[in-house]
Amino acid sequence: MQTIYTDLLVVGAGLAGERAAVEAADAGFSAICLSLVPARRSHSSAAQGGMQAALGNSVMGEGDSPDVHFADTVKGSDWGCDQEVARMFADSAPIEMRRLAHWGVPWNRVVPGKSIYYKGGKQYDKVEKEEKEGLIMARSFGGTAKWRTCYTSDGTGHAVMCTMDNRCAEVGVEVHDKTEAIAMIQDGDVCYGVVARCLRTGELITYLSKATMIASGGFGRIYPNTTNAVICDGGAHTLCIETGVVPMGNMEAVQFHPTGIVPTDILVTEGCRGDGGTLLDVNEKRFMNDYEPDKAELASRDVVSRWMTHHMREGHGVKSPYGEHLWLDIRHLGAEHITGKLREVYEICTSFLGINPIHQLIPVRPTHHYSMGGVRTNRDGAAYGLKGLFSAGESACWDMHGFNRLGGNSLAETVVAGGIVGKKIAEYLEGCETTFKTSLISDVVKKQQARIDALVNGTNGSENVYKVRAAMQVALNKGANIFRTQAGLEECVATLQETLIRARNVGLRSNGKGVNPELAAALKLEGQVKMGLMVAYGALQRTESRGSHNREDFPARNDRDWLNRTLAYWKTPSDSLPTLEYEPATEVVEIPPGDRGYGKSEIISADDNKE
Amino acid sequence: MSISYVPVGKSGKWDGAMDWLQMLSGFSLILFVWCHAILESSVVISPDVMDAIGHFLESTGMVQVGGPLIFLVFLSHFVLGARKIPFRFDGQKTIWQHAKMLHHLDTWMWIVQIVSAMIILIMASIHMWVALSDLPITAAKSAARIQGGYWAVFFLILIPLVHLHVGIGFYRIGVKWGFVKDCNRAKFKKVVDVIVTAFVVLGLITLARYYFMSVN
Amino acid sequence: MSRLLKFNIFRYNPADEVSEPHMEEFVLEETDSMTLFIALNRIREEQDPSLQFDFCCRAGICGSCGMVINGRPGLACHTKTKDLSGEITLLPLPVYKLVGDLSVDTGSWFREMYTKTESWIHTTKTFDPTAIEERMDNKQAVDIYELERCVECGCCVAACGTARMREDFIGAAALNRVARFLIDPRDQRTENDYYEIIGNDMGIFGCMGLLACEDVCPKHLPLQNQLGFLRRKMGITSLKKIFKK
Repeated sequence: MQTIYTDLLVVGAGLAGERAAVEAADAGFSAICLSLVPARRSHSSAAQGGMQAALGNSVMGEGDSPDVHFADTVKGSDWGCDQEVARMFADSAPIEMRRLAHWGVPWNRVVPGKSIYYKGGKQYDKVEKEEKEGLIMARSFGGTAKWRTCYTSDGTGHAVMCTMDNRCAEVGVEVHDKTEAIAMIQDGDVCYGVVARCLRTGELITYLSKATMIASGGFGRIYPNTTNAVICDGGAHTLCIETGVVPMGNMEAVQFHPTGIVPTDILVTEGCRGDGGTLLDVNEKRFMNDYEPDKAELASRDVVSRWMTHHMREGHGVKSPYGEHLWLDIRHLGAEHITGKLREVYEICTSFLGINPIHQLIPVRPTHHYSMGGVRTNRDGAAYGLKGLFSAGESACWDMHGFNRLGGNSLAETVVAGGIVGKKIAEYLEGCETTFKTSLISDVVKKQQARIDALVNGTNGSENVYKVRAAMQVALNKGANIFRTQAGLEECVATLQETLIRARNVGLRSNGKGVNPELAAALKLEGQVKMGLMVAYGALQRTESRGSHNREDFPARNDRDWLNRTLAYWKTPSDSLPTLEYEPATEVVEIPPGDRGYGKSEIISADDNKE
Repeated sequence: MSISYVPVGKSGKWDGAMDWLQMLSGFSLILFVWCHAILESSVVISPDVMDAIGHFLESTGMVQVGGPLIFLVFLSHFVLGARKIPFRFDGQKTIWQHAKMLHHLDTWMWIVQIVSAMIILIMASIHMWVALSDLPITAAKSAARIQGGYWAVFFLILIPLVHLHVGIGFYRIGVKWGFVKDCNRAKFKKVVDVIVTAFVVLGLITLARYYFMSVN
Repeated sequence: MSRLLKFNIFRYNPADEVSEPHMEEFVLEETDSMTLFIALNRIREEQDPSLQFDFCCRAGICGSCGMVINGRPGLACHTKTKDLSGEITLLPLPVYKLVGDLSVDTGSWFREMYTKTESWIHTTKTFDPTAIEERMDNKQAVDIYELERCVECGCCVAACGTARMREDFIGAAALNRVARFLIDPRDQRTENDYYEIIGNDMGIFGCMGLLACEDVCPKHLPLQNQLGFLRRKMGITSLKKIFKK
């Protein structure tokens, strides 16, 4: 078996991972990124919108500063974020955008003079200033006070990913693509690297390192309908959960988007509704105006998602081979508008659905979009519980998003956190020497080989991996969705516990030879169900509504009892439930909890007396 | 791809020059073939016109000098073009399978170019040798040859092949060197189609004229 | 009643000593808005769990799912079954090393391409975190992005007759990459530097202009125009090199 040594090992080669690796390489350390896919295919590249940074070059962003950005972020998080981290983020973001420009990102630039823009379906004029010509431009995004989102046309993530991967090639960061980490090499409270499975040959490879970083993105694929890529399955999270000492932070904080298309769950922009699109049910009848007479379809993301789910539960959904959905109707906007301003929507509909939205209805449903939770780290990106383990990006709970993240903040987080954490890793590597125990390594490898053999030979049973996976996804979709109730979550937890037992009894139907996709799915399944339990059980225990976590039975945000962060551990592998601990949401308080200024505003203040 | 680094010191300086020469030789041959075809077709108007043109070209020495020169360009063009032709069997198999898989006209057109190139190499050489070794060129001599039968068949094969090869070459130069942009490619292709068809028809009419001309 | 689709899929698992390359037939009932992403996943989950193929974003953004669909290289995720006949033949992309069934190794190929083309900004300037960014014309930025849109799916190379015949040919994706840096004012490389990379028969002069790259590119990159641009630019550079010395 091959053994590879490197100073820094990054699991994941998206923006956060590569950014950190570049930082380590610049400091003279060797760095390898493991990735399921070639780096540029990472899900970072799918983020089209942009990156938030308070550069204030556009006339619409005048008066913007990291302070305003910070305030937006804290409010967006519903005061669930770590304010020290959010502050670091807001302060560093502008510098990071300029650094990316230096490295080669073709940011859109300010074009001076008069131009038009749309807001709420209406047209307005703006005049960009001469003296700002050629500086990095920004666009508007939800939940922000100013135009702050830096972008490159409709492919910001892709363009930045290309530049970052180019930079990796330049400074000698290796990317081992088609390589999947399946277990952590852990001795007590120190991490020594991972055992990985080569997805070209199926062989196991040992990667030894002084520092290991999890930068594997989100884990949306534990839900049946998600905008996340196929690779965002939380595989790397399962490694951390398996250690028993690394907690996952705020796993119950999951963001949903109202209009993912059915069947492929690709997002269509909110602009459709902003410009006058309506939602219809199975009878092609509008319903949002009944639930929200004032704002109707234009109510906030979580409100619309919630009513859509409610309406389908009431039996008004459209049945399809891919599950129930509703219709988005933009036909009345006309061909010119649809192929002009909503061109992206038009293209998605025609190329992925074969539907022409000028004449036909678009099938949509609320769809899982982003996981605020993940590997809990301190402000330096060092994971709790294991020395030498770091994390950044969506996979981490660094925690600048709290219970809700703002559009454009996640993509910016990847590079900002990657840079900050990368620097800290380089500092950690400086003067860090270690010894590797061969007995420890061979034990881990043997254990993994045994796990694979058991799956191939069906030693533990003959449960079908895809059916068990589907059972987990359905349970989470039903119980830990936008609407959450005690009864629903209890049922979800119970179902997931049964599913966990089934997951432990999976056996392959194929021979498991080479790059067997069934084996790859089976290896991470038990960990995924555990992750699902962390989501559901965390949500069950959190008896309040905060950000994207909406409890119908506890509609108020409760700053008195729940201004904290859930830490979920899986202390012993054979446990049937995670162990939950809590820590204060933030130690530094720049902005005390208050009203967000949008959405619902029922708040139980910390000053309220206990009942 | 096992792209190995270009070995240090191996400059591709001449690769660029050869690409130029391939294009320029091709382009001059295209012009030559089209002129040749038009002048030859003067026989359709009257054999006397053609003889007059032939006489003019010979008396100025253009045939005696130009003929061998064209032959030289013709051979160089073949050598330059042949750099890209797979002469090993596995290469030929690959490109053949590739074209069959892809259903792509431009790829098939390249195969037509290669196959026609091989045939033209032989046939045009013969044609040039016969024509240049028996000066002066007159309508009567040409007609006599063609009415012999074998030469009629010979030209029935050569004329369409040459115009196909030349037409595709013309199209290829346009798109390959970027003289024709993507937005005009389809239109350009149509224009080339018309040109090729026109020249093939013209060639056949010329051939028919020779065939039915009364030879004294 | 919906159609029954017949899939002929290339099967071979190099890691299995009894596996031989062959075509296997699967039958699947068509559903609304079915794409090859949905169809292949259903075949794997319901009929043969060992079937190998690559998908990632399944939204036409990442380029993972390049394969030969009824003879043409393309992205499987945005290929709708209703646009195809009832019989669908799927092959792995040629040129790249086969991993198994429909999965190929594009990663190693492209990684080598980055090294070969030195696919990064070459500059002697260093980044100053205290300074504002260098200005750039928006038009220029948009033009660079236009070429940066390549998703490295590998379809252009798989469709290229030259690349099929000559292993050392660099391919349209690589040439497009060079063009991307050539038009970037931040990159200080000269035409002579670029000539060292692509000014030979493995580079731009190897291209025979068959334009299958242009015709199959799922992102509709302006490859024809870029290849023409590079040929003229490098052609002129070659003449300069010959006549200046």
